[in-house]
Amino acid sequence: MSDVQRMRHGSSIGLPVTRRDGHDKVTGQARFAADNHPTGMLYAVLATSRIARGRVAFLDVAAARAHVGVVEVMVPGNRPALAIHPDDKSVPFSFKMDLLQDDRVRYAGQSIAVVIAETLEAATEGAALLAPRYAAEAVEVTLDAPGAFVPETVGVGAPAEQRHGDVEAGLDHAAHRIETTYETPLQFHNAMEPHGIVAAWDGDALSIDMPTQGLALTQMRIAAFFGIRMEDIHIRSPFIGGGFGSKLLAGPQVLGILAAKLVGRPVKLVLTRAQMYGPVTHRSATRQSLRLGAAADGQLTAIDHHVRTATSRHDDFLEPSGGISHSLYASPAIATTADAVRLDTGTPGFMRGPGEASGSIALESAMDEMAAACGIDPLEFRLRNYAEVEPITGKPFSSKALRDCYAQGATTFGWAGRPLAPRQMRDADGLLVGWGLGTAIFPAMMFQAEARAVLRRDGTGLVEAGIHDMGQGAWTAFAQIAADSLGLDIDQVEFRGGRSDLPNAGIAGGSGHTATAGGAIHAAGGQAIARLTELAVADPRSPLFGAGNVGVVARDGRLVRWDDESRGETYGDILARAGLDMVEGQGSAAADQATAEQYSLHAHGAVFAEVKVDPELGQVRVTRLVGAFAAGRIINPRMVRSQYYGGMIWGLSFALHEHAAMDVRTGRVMNADLAEYRVPVNADVPSVEAILVEEEDPHVNALGIKGVGEIGITGTAGAIANAVWHATGVRVRKFPIALEAFSGA
Amino acid sequence: MSTIWLQPKTLPEALAMLAADPALTPFAGGTDLYPAQAARFAWGEALPEAILDLGALPEFWGIAADATQWRIGAGATWAQLRDAALPAEFDVLRAASCQVGGAQIQNRGTIGGNLCNASPAADGVPPLLALDAAVELASLRGTRTLPLGKFLLGNRQTERAPDELLTAVLVPHRAGDLRSGFEKLGARHYLVISIVMVAAMVRMEAGRIAEAAIAVGACSAVAQRLPALEAALRGSRPGEVAVTPGQLDHLAPIDDARATGAYRREAALVLVRRLLARLALPEALVA
Ligand SMILES: Cc1cc2nc3c(=O)[nH]c(=O)nc-3n(C[C@H](O)[C@H](O)[C@H](O)COP(=O)(O)OP(=O)(O)OC[C@H]3O[C@@H](n4cnc5c(N)ncnc54)[C@H](O)[C@@H]3O)c2cc1C
Repeated sequence: MSDVQRMRHGSSIGLPVTRRDGHDKVTGQARFAADNHPTGMLYAVLATSRIARGRVAFLDVAAARAHVGVVEVMVPGNRPALAIHPDDKSVPFSFKMDLLQDDRVRYAGQSIAVVIAETLEAATEGAALLAPRYAAEAVEVTLDAPGAFVPETVGVGAPAEQRHGDVEAGLDHAAHRIETTYETPLQFHNAMEPHGIVAAWDGDALSIDMPTQGLALTQMRIAAFFGIRMEDIHIRSPFIGGGFGSKLLAGPQVLGILAAKLVGRPVKLVLTRAQMYGPVTHRSATRQSLRLGAAADGQLTAIDHHVRTATSRHDDFLEPSGGISHSLYASPAIATTADAVRLDTGTPGFMRGPGEASGSIALESAMDEMAAACGIDPLEFRLRNYAEVEPITGKPFSSKALRDCYAQGATTFGWAGRPLAPRQMRDADGLLVGWGLGTAIFPAMMFQAEARAVLRRDGTGLVEAGIHDMGQGAWTAFAQIAADSLGLDIDQVEFRGGRSDLPNAGIAGGSGHTATAGGAIHAAGGQAIARLTELAVADPRSPLFGAGNVGVVARDGRLVRWDDESRGETYGDILARAGLDMVEGQGSAAADQATAEQYSLHAHGAVFAEVKVDPELGQVRVTRLVGAFAAGRIINPRMVRSQYYGGMIWGLSFALHEHAAMDVRTGRVMNADLAEYRVPVNADVPSVEAILVEEEDPHVNALGIKGVGEIGITGTAGAIANAVWHATGVRVRKFPIALEAFSGA
Repeated sequence: MSTIWLQPKTLPEALAMLAADPALTPFAGGTDLYPAQAARFAWGEALPEAILDLGALPEFWGIAADATQWRIGAGATWAQLRDAALPAEFDVLRAASCQVGGAQIQNRGTIGGNLCNASPAADGVPPLLALDAAVELASLRGTRTLPLGKFLLGNRQTERAPDELLTAVLVPHRAGDLRSGFEKLGARHYLVISIVMVAAMVRMEAGRIAEAAIAVGACSAVAQRLPALEAALRGSRPGEVAVTPGQLDHLAPIDDARATGAYRREAALVLVRRLLARLALPEALVA
């Protein structure tokens, strides 16, 4: 796709507009939550549990309180009352929380006290002086824990078991069968910006600076906790230093609000890096067993995908890894099942591509193994199993340009001529070279959003929606949509977002923010234009008098006749004559049930990877990644490319690096820092190329947007694993791929 | 979280403070101490009570040569070592300096801290073993010099008495056709703790190896020289002597979160072979 896919004359939609907040960010002007220091502010520091299960038997509160600068120590005994129990889940999307309700410890890193002091140093020292003693109990922290159970649902309410066709029959009749098990590791959120809050009470009104991907959801839960009205809670979240699902819900920051209430002064609470490995959710480990059957010609006859995962002992979130097998490859029989164990960990949660990321690496590896078993090129094999309709439901796709993704990706990468057998290619230095492929897929989700648009007499526009910028470029893309909807230049539109006192723009999650909030913004702008049009066409003094709604379009601050663009007038003139300062439009957007029932809604992509493996040391180096993605309309190709790059690098991290090492005796993460919890450094990241494949989707939503935030991980991790096999002939089924994996190969 | 922080302005003052309270923890760059402190705190262990900050000692920082040896102040940072104009035998140390952490760590971390911390994975140790370095220890009782191999006793254990400070690293001058190099293997390509590292220095004479010094780190509690291999190489032409697993037999690599012992043993052999081959490249042999 060319970078210029204009929606209409004068619009910046489809243009690679640079980040509107870029200058502020690189010059340090952008204020993140923790940069706010209201007068009288105190610092709160969490004391967290060193045991994973048991009770806090003693805290030396007196010692902490006696420390110079310490103002108060919050423990279960003096923690201000809450209107609902922290385990209450009546607010949508809620998980049980740990807000000092009692002395129980449910996981390592759980908050057991909060020390509030005049300085960060004093609070930190106070927390150390608490010197807790515990009554510890034995812990379970591995997938082999006893008591495996079959959950009713996985992810957010998806059935744990789904079937289509007869899998056993499909396997029985298959000419080729494979049966393999893949293990993915426990992973933790490591956004650059740790979770933090600055909270200030004014009577029953609460003012909060806090990064959140869900302003309204967060506001709702906090309102429930404190028994106050949502409108009395004002949250500012103009910039989020990475969220990836970890900042969707209220989180441990509620303790900061409680602390502020306790001391009657504003309080700042920021988690340390190490504290990110406790209460902010994680991706559970998985063990995925796949059975595939294929006919002699390579047509799949069955996919059976079983997922063992884990949740906490006290709450449920099951990584829905099997979901990816429902929609990707054509097969007359598909079954996905799950079971899980309960562990002494925090409750897992949404982590970029929850389910899709972990499921994809297993499914793509298995597909590669089957392609090899059939003796077919992995790309050809995937084309033979191309799903023309969604396999598990039989629904047509609203659009699917995956064939173009395969073709464009393969051409750019230079896939043709890839030797079928592994261990056939070496570079000049003797390194083993391998090429691998993975298909990317992610559902096009929508939530619920509202927006407000205003046209002012001075010819400018104002658009308001409580959107969330996590670094993905929301400030820019939504301003582009807003300007387009009002027929104004982007610089003529004042755009307000990132606050809870604006129309509820839903959540930045599920890769659905641009589609949902963008839809609402566009509708709001459209309504403002429609109101303005009504004024003009009904006014005999207007050159547009009698032109009728359909016959008028908005262009560069003017309404003009559709059939004759020379006849028209400026917004300002219309408003002035009508004696109005402004005209306003409201818009909303939500998933359309009818569309979802009729169509399968997904973005697709194909990722090609080249790796080089040191034959003696087993060091894997990804040297090239090419991803081609089709995700409907692209609002801003520059931002979208960045999302794909980030997703693909995350996939690289998934395949080769990230892994939280649990101490099975204590239930504690042993590498709770960025030195030993490995993510790739620049030197590990190869040339990454993202191709934006053109795709028009007339059904998915009004703007034809599918979402790009998470899809880049899918396909990529598997492509790298498959390239490693192609380089070495060794099929590694445990991730991340370790140096030792090739010993003796 | 320490309750006392002392910052002496001269070495005698520092030694007097340490003599008066040998429980003081010397503090140079803090790049080992702070992470260790965080880990101790996380696991509920005791923290150092009192700190002796060496940052203001003028004697600590320089790199200088006298008639017989190079004297590297204990407070020399990796950045200093990386950028200093030192002769070819120091290529091994320079290469290691470029790979300790990232630039921020290189600006803060010191060679003295690296040696006193005595991690099995300390990147400074194998190069200095290969260079036959000695360390200088000072206390009010006097100054003594120990070969580095004698100073390092085990995992986080050294010969340093509680009242002593490490003041300098001493490296003898060498003449002749010298080459040296360093190989580091980690689980990612930069900013990583070594799984294995190998340091080597060879002196060539008339196309033969007159002297070889090879050390392997992260494969035993203290990095080890490879005397059998060094002896076998002496007098040989580059490439003539094969490196055998037997020459690495005395290493005792362990299994840990970063790698298995068996893998470390294999990788050490590979890295030794590669490093020797690299130092013996024909273009490097033209005297
Ligand atoms: C992110 C990160 C990455 C790192 N990467 C590497 C790496 O790749 N390779 C590597 O080898 N190390 C690495 N390190 C460890 C550390 O940076 C080095 O070991 C560094 O050289 C330590 O020096 P320092 O001056 O900071 O020591 P400090 O932390 O100040 O001290 C370390 C120890 O030595 C003692 N000490 C210091 N100076 C003296 C002295 N003169 N006399 C007596 N005792 C003394 C201290 O009491 C302490 O016990 C890394 C550390 C971090 C945080």
